[in-house]
Amino acid sequence: MSEIAQPISHESDDPNWFKRAVFYEVLIRSFKDSSGDGVGDLRGLAERLDYLAWLGVDCLWLPPFFPSPLRDGGYDVSDYTDVAEDIGTIDDFKAFLDAAHSRGIRVIIDFVMNHTSDQHPWFQSSRTDPDGPYGDFYVWSDTDDLYQDARIIFVDTEASNWTWDPVRGEYFWHRFYSHQPDLNFDNPAVHEAMLDALAFWLDLGVDGFRLDAVPYLFEREGTNGENLPETHEFLRKVRKFVDDGWPGRVLLAEANQWPADVVDYYGDFDTGGDECHMCFHFPVMPRIFMAVRRESRYPISEILSQTPDIPKNCHWGIFLRNHDELTLEMVTDEDRDYMWAEYAKDPRMKANIGIRRRLAPLLDNDVDQMELFTALLLSLPGSPVLYYGDEIGMGDNIWLGDRDGVRTPMQWTPDRNAGFSSATPGRLTLPVIMDPVFGYQAVNVEADLANTSSLLHWTRRMIQIRQQHPALGLGTFTDIGGSNPAVLSFLREFGDDAMLCVNNLSRFAQPVELDLRSFEGVRPIETLGGVEFPAIGELPYLLTLGGYGFYWFRLPKNPEASGP
Amino acid sequence: MTAEFEAQLLHYMSDQRWFAGKGGVSSIGGIVRLPWLTTAEDEPRVRVELVTVITDDVPQVYQVPMAYYDTEPERMGHALIGTYDDPKHGRLVAYDALHDRIAIGTLVRGFVENDRSGGITHSVLGPVQVDTDMPSVMLTGEQSNTSLVLGEDLLLKVFRTVVPGRNPDIEVHEALTRLDSSAIAALRGWVATKPIDDGDSYDLAMLQDFLRSASDGWEYARASVRDLLMEADLHADEVGGDFAAEAERLGATVAALHDDLAAALETDTWKARNLARLADRLRSRLTQAVAAAPELAPYADSLASAYDALATLDTTVGVQRIHGDLHLGQTLRTIGGWVIIDFEGEPAKPLAERRALDSPIRDVAGMLRSFDYAASSMVIPTEMSPQEHHRIDEWAERNRAAFLDGYAATRGDDPRDHAVLLRAYEIDKAAYEVVYEKRNRPTWMGIPLSAIERLAGT
Repeated sequence: MSEIAQPISHESDDPNWFKRAVFYEVLIRSFKDSSGDGVGDLRGLAERLDYLAWLGVDCLWLPPFFPSPLRDGGYDVSDYTDVAEDIGTIDDFKAFLDAAHSRGIRVIIDFVMNHTSDQHPWFQSSRTDPDGPYGDFYVWSDTDDLYQDARIIFVDTEASNWTWDPVRGEYFWHRFYSHQPDLNFDNPAVHEAMLDALAFWLDLGVDGFRLDAVPYLFEREGTNGENLPETHEFLRKVRKFVDDGWPGRVLLAEANQWPADVVDYYGDFDTGGDECHMCFHFPVMPRIFMAVRRESRYPISEILSQTPDIPKNCHWGIFLRNHDELTLEMVTDEDRDYMWAEYAKDPRMKANIGIRRRLAPLLDNDVDQMELFTALLLSLPGSPVLYYGDEIGMGDNIWLGDRDGVRTPMQWTPDRNAGFSSATPGRLTLPVIMDPVFGYQAVNVEADLANTSSLLHWTRRMIQIRQQHPALGLGTFTDIGGSNPAVLSFLREFGDDAMLCVNNLSRFAQPVELDLRSFEGVRPIETLGGVEFPAIGELPYLLTLGGYGFYWFRLPKNPEASGP
Repeated sequence: MTAEFEAQLLHYMSDQRWFAGKGGVSSIGGIVRLPWLTTAEDEPRVRVELVTVITDDVPQVYQVPMAYYDTEPERMGHALIGTYDDPKHGRLVAYDALHDRIAIGTLVRGFVENDRSGGITHSVLGPVQVDTDMPSVMLTGEQSNTSLVLGEDLLLKVFRTVVPGRNPDIEVHEALTRLDSSAIAALRGWVATKPIDDGDSYDLAMLQDFLRSASDGWEYARASVRDLLMEADLHADEVGGDFAAEAERLGATVAALHDDLAAALETDTWKARNLARLADRLRSRLTQAVAAAPELAPYADSLASAYDALATLDTTVGVQRIHGDLHLGQTLRTIGGWVIIDFEGEPAKPLAERRALDSPIRDVAGMLRSFDYAASSMVIPTEMSPQEHHRIDEWAERNRAAFLDGYAATRGDDPRDHAVLLRAYEIDKAAYEVVYEKRNRPTWMGIPLSAIERLAGT
């Protein structure tokens, strides 16, 4: 049997490479410690690039690794153009980047535009020297009266978006923590400083940026300070700057908003998009969980049918889990729909409402569900973003608190510190998982590599199949419904490549009849095993699926070609 | 020869799900053969035939579109009716045209070509595009009609039993479509005969949007019950398959439907004397039901007292066109929300009665009964343990309440505020169900009987 499509080329010059890429988010501090100081570092990450290449990921996303007091996981940056001391040096970064590129792996890095740490020299200068070069870099005010329509995002810790600075004797504006003053984007010098910092990393060769918290860059009286026209104008400026100097690099926006608002961050529809290349699709993730919980396809079908079209050179990014808590409030703020009520009604989901847990514990360590979720991640429209450790079903540590519980060291081996570090165990910044179910003795890469039926091998195989089928990256999405509401079935089509994905969201075995008249005569080929199924006839096509079962079928356009 | 063909035709018809005369003694009373839709060169030759079957002295007109071939084509054995000697074309092999792709194309051609041959007319509400290249597919599971999916997005519902005059399904769909109601699948067109012998014309079929993503509300609700019963002792609100959010949205959809029906079609107000007449009708139906099912007798007095309360109700009731036969099987869950289908009313009733104005509370009562049925239908009632009984009741109560909440929130009128009327309609429906089950599924009689017991007690 011949596969119909060429595998994705890592060296491709295709400016739309990101549409077919499988992304992998990796926290450097938690992946591999090469120096024995208990903190993962760039050299350690470089050592494990062979593993990532073997897994088949196309692009790494590195959350912030810049100098930082680390009061917000590194999103409080105190120097935009350096590497945090415990992680390595600029030379280490260059070496890592070259090593990644030589394996055909691209790298995008986080970039936090909205605010800096209060330890950033710009802020220190701004507060002590209001008339100096950085005096106007932040949003200062004599009073805390302005912009009262802007909501407070971190309601648990912050009482106001204004905080009094006794040094300067004024209030400064912050949409997030009070130790993260917002930069003043009405100051052209701030634009220049941002573009200079981007250029620094682009010159080093990074393949793009995940832009953190983009909706909040500007403040305007009488608005909620989100998604303002000025913000879009600045993003167009960034895009043009990047395109002009470094074509083919990608901008991925974190705009935790309803899709109808997020699409604005792609920019102009007619030109194919002139702001960000990619945006995260936030609501689809909790809907996947809800659909499986409800054993109903409608939560997923609805959100996808409500998702607007996007410009042709743009793409969604989708994920199951990442390093952040994903508060449902942020997804549902704009939502007239019923998701919040659904979760609130359900004590069990409510316990997980922050969804600050890893995939495996969220799914009760059920391999069937993990496989189903991963299959959905790899086949729904949008580029999948895997989270380090989920490919081996790593657990979390709820005793570490919300933030750090899902950021524990990668579990490489059953040896000391899970093979993550040679440091004295007490020196690790975060302890390895040691519980009986998810502990590193049981769950680790070495064991999963040795066992070809492991989740790791399975995930690798699924990534390979995805890469062989351009339809799964580039193709159209058609929800084909079907007789059984517990089964989500959809077509992905790109040119001659047609994939039929059928997913049983129920824990029980289910039959489904699918209307596949437009493929009459075609013999579907199940892609994991290459098994040819009976030809599609005049009548609805009957399939049966085990609990949480799924199929990825290839639908060869030419029925004769697949015959005996 | 004609007698032989008629025997073959009757044999074919009596095997079909849509044949209403099962179990009775039937004979063919006559066949009206509409003119050919095809030319003499075409194969198959296609025309609509209206077949009157007399079952136990009661005539019923059926629509049988026919496809005639000179010789037997392959793969159509299941639709073979018999051989027919045509006065002009000689011996032909006759098939049910709704199983024949080519013949279906001929039947629907009139939607796009404004073709008015063959004694039938095609009407459209706006331009329609019928994809005649793509093979149509027949939906399974239908009782009294035959529905075909045409292309990707159109559904042709062919009425098998036809009566002179406007089909209420088309009438209601047309009015609601012109109102742009979101509670239905929009009507795109319909097919009718020209007046036959300068007399009556018959509505033959309707063309509406096919909701590809839809799934059946009855099966969807039952999946929730099944999910509940698979858990040993969780409550209905604790299991993953909880249906209450869907029931609430369905209530909102039915409320919107009632608003739309009231806006699009005639309305009226019932005064005390109308309610007294309604009570009389319900009483006489109850008397008939008790006669047919003596199991109802112990409750008869209490039930009748509910009608007494109705008869003495000193209030007015808004009446309007309603669905008339509303239950979960008439609902579809689509990506965009719930949709209500089939506005023919109870097929067994005469046309005038099906079109009569009534209180929307009657539809609400039908849905409430349906939740009860969905809950109970997963377990054979006679084998139900007390624990199962309790859990099933809990599911039904939870979803009935959620449905009423959704309805009340959308309409601004809570059916529970019309308790006397709601109870009366529920009793009427449940009593009918007892009789139906006694005749058809005696082991299921417990489902409506326990409802009767509850309704008699309040």
